[in-house]
Amino acid sequence: MDPGARAALQRGMCRLADGDREAFAPVFAALWPVLRAFSARALPVAAEAEDAAQSALLKVFARAAEFDPRREALPWALGIAAYECRTLRKARARRREDATRASPEPVDARTPEDSAIERDLQAVAAEVLGGLRALDAETLLAAARGERDPSATFRKRLERAVARFREEWRARHGAD
Amino acid sequence: MEPIELRARARRAYELGRVRLAGKAAGTALLIAALAAALGRPPFLTAALGAALAVAAAALVFRGRASGRAVWTGLCAGSGAMLLPLGLATAGCRMFGDACMRFCLPACVAGGLAMGFALATVARRQEQGEGEFLAGGAAVAALTASLGCTLAGAGGILAMALGTVLAGAPVWLAARAQR
Repeated sequence: MDPGARAALQRGMCRLADGDREAFAPVFAALWPVLRAFSARALPVAAEAEDAAQSALLKVFARAAEFDPRREALPWALGIAAYECRTLRKARARRREDATRASPEPVDARTPEDSAIERDLQAVAAEVLGGLRALDAETLLAAARGERDPSATFRKRLERAVARFREEWRARHGAD
Repeated sequence: MEPIELRARARRAYELGRVRLAGKAAGTALLIAALAAALGRPPFLTAALGAALAVAAAALVFRGRASGRAVWTGLCAGSGAMLLPLGLATAGCRMFGDACMRFCLPACVAGGLAMGFALATVARRQEQGEGEFLAGGAAVAALTASLGCTLAGAGGILAMALGTVLAGAPVWLAARAQR
């Protein structure tokens, strides 16, 4: 902005602060392109830059009645625009962080074929488990649920149950 | 947002900003009235004067220009003129008894003199709209001072107005002659 336009903007802002409504149109015409260009330089996304410039312009006019004539109008308005740009940048970064943190449900990468095989294995395992003694089946299920008793008795019982499960499996299906 | 819509919204934002500023002036006026009531002025009269002062201050600040600028000066000068008789009636009577009420009328004159001088001095410094500044400021200051000067009845208000004119007019006329 050249010094003449800058001085005109300063005069316009002072008149607006004083309540002179006739200064509105020239101040609007002088400020809008400046704020737009500033926001476009500060934000890479054009739509966001436009939003920031509009928001800054509205805030400048909302505070125009309280503008202190001893201040420079242009840096004051650009300060408001810079704040708007920073707020938008922060909002964008926060959205990105939220998106990263709230990771989507784990994607089931298994194929339908894998799922079918797993279902078959679970059915066979349940069948083999049904053939075991109640105590062995209970021990194996407790271990599978993670409810392992740290005692040596449980460990030995689990070893025995696993061995019997293997034998039963081998007997029914012929392989480990 | 289309440029025309943006312009309309910016204009609305500006007017709302002025309303906010007017609200501050009205709030200050009501605070001054509350102070007068706390210092013993009758509630109904104080409420009526306070409401008139708040409306006048808000309207002038919203409008802006010289009379809008004069509101804060008027409120300050008027508060001084208001507190003089009120201070005399509260603190003075406690110390010297009821006899001090004799000084209420002179206190109103003294408050008016100080108020007139202050208003005229600030008005002469205005680059434009000095007359408007003086008129707006005098109206607000007179209403503010009335909150205290009614203590001496209608005579108190007249005395205050007389003091304002007596002190303000010479300063004002001298300033005009210099220009």
